[in-house]
Amino acid sequence: MRTTTAATSRPYLGYGLGLRTEHYESVLRQRPAVDWFEIISENYMVGGGKALHFLERIRADYPMVMHGVSLSIGGSDTLNEDYLRELKTLAARVEPEWISDHLCWTGVEGYNMHDLLPLPYTEEAVRHVAERVCRVQDFLGRQILLENVSSYLSYDCSHMPEWEFLAAVARRADCLILLDINNVYVSSHNHRFDPHDYLNALPAERVRQFHLAGHTHSGEIIVDTHDQAVIDPVWKLYASAVRRFGMVSTMIERDDNIPPLDDLLAELEQARTIAAPILKSLVA
Amino acid sequence: MRLRVLQRQFQNALLGGDRQLLTHVAPTPGADAEQRIDIYAQAYRLRLQEALEVDFPKLRTLLGTDPFDELAQAYIERHPSQQPSLRWFGRHMAAFLTQAAPWSAQPALGELAAFEWAQGEVFDAPDADTVAVAEIAEISPQEWPRLHFQPHPSLRRLDLYWNVVAVWQALDNGEAPPPLLAATKAQAWLLWRRQLSIHWRSLGVEECWALDAWRRGASFGEICEGLCEWVAPEQVPVHAASLLKSWVDARLISVLVGG
Repeated sequence: MRTTTAATSRPYLGYGLGLRTEHYESVLRQRPAVDWFEIISENYMVGGGKALHFLERIRADYPMVMHGVSLSIGGSDTLNEDYLRELKTLAARVEPEWISDHLCWTGVEGYNMHDLLPLPYTEEAVRHVAERVCRVQDFLGRQILLENVSSYLSYDCSHMPEWEFLAAVARRADCLILLDINNVYVSSHNHRFDPHDYLNALPAERVRQFHLAGHTHSGEIIVDTHDQAVIDPVWKLYASAVRRFGMVSTMIERDDNIPPLDDLLAELEQARTIAAPILKSLVA
Repeated sequence: MRLRVLQRQFQNALLGGDRQLLTHVAPTPGADAEQRIDIYAQAYRLRLQEALEVDFPKLRTLLGTDPFDELAQAYIERHPSQQPSLRWFGRHMAAFLTQAAPWSAQPALGELAAFEWAQGEVFDAPDADTVAVAEIAEISPQEWPRLHFQPHPSLRRLDLYWNVVAVWQALDNGEAPPPLLAATKAQAWLLWRRQLSIHWRSLGVEECWALDAWRRGASFGEICEGLCEWVAPEQVPVHAASLLKSWVDARLISVLVGG
């Protein structure tokens, strides 16, 4: 059920999960106590068949949000109008509470690397991305959310930290933020910064959704694989984020090594358990 | 530096191992610039390879894991993705296998890939209602000759020289596949989706002709005329009606358009 938090007028969906093919039938059978589902937009940009069949049935019972991976909002090709049209068509079908994608680029010269590639944190990039976000928002007729990505390298031309870049884009484009707590943790390790600096620098009123996920160590670098359970340091950072931002719709994002639905429900319960006393203390 | 130049250099590092990006990576403790770029380069290839594994599972079993990995890497180099969704990444695989050595020496591989790709196309083709037998029964005799049909959007046709369907089915059952054999004439196959299930069956020569004529827009009357090549003229109406009924029963027909 959608509610609105009093402090920020922020729409609030509660605790959700990423909807995955492996769980379609369990969801319909169990009607689990999940407040909402997030779908990967591109997985439903097909003509028909199984994906749309289950999408329709699950959507009838649960609120949904749409999460894309190919908008390439930071790319230097022109925006892909065919993709945007497909996104808008899908949104008309799903009627999502909101639509998100990533603060990144995915390819140039017509190619798609199918990865969330890092942007340089420069004034040029802020201007470029903000202008494109405005065009996307105009086309879709709604604000979008941009998610911070995990990254494994930074550029020597960057002259601001990532959190300043994200905040600047959000303010300039008047868009919202999907804060991936795991990605903040991963990037803080890979680039050696304090993740709390990240949380403290973001405009609280623009943070609309949290992602929680697991990751994998590859030598000295952490890779954002979304194939493991959320680890304790990320739960601790989540607690800090709840203290900083208050009631924000939260979900577990598992993309690989998908466990049974009940395992993810247990993980989601952990998020509820961590957030509840903090939110209570904030209200008091 | 300009965003586009940087992005082009980054992409070149992923596509072909170009190292120009190295000079633009900020030094950070924990890993050097080369290691950091390699994380992206490896993830790029792995992600695309996984997409091919999903779309061509039996091709992978038939070839074996390592030879399939080699094929996947060659394909990734030849056909970098140009689509927003990985769903379409493997669409050139059948053609690639028929053209690129050493795989082109085994034409059965291209046919197996075509069969698996067609299954994927059937799987998520647009939905459409299908015509029921009762609707056919309501058509008056004078309307029949000018009757046209619209196929269900999932319908696909393949002509296969090799016994790749039998190979696919054996592998799907966890059995040893039969030896690869080629026929002197291609066997026609029909694939389609009924509700959420993928179906396929082979087609006899005259049914194949009738089905292809129907899909090209021929009327029932024109199909009857054409069937005279295989069926005695006095038996053609019954034969054609029987074909039509089997197509309706299989849920192949979405719309009937009266004359």
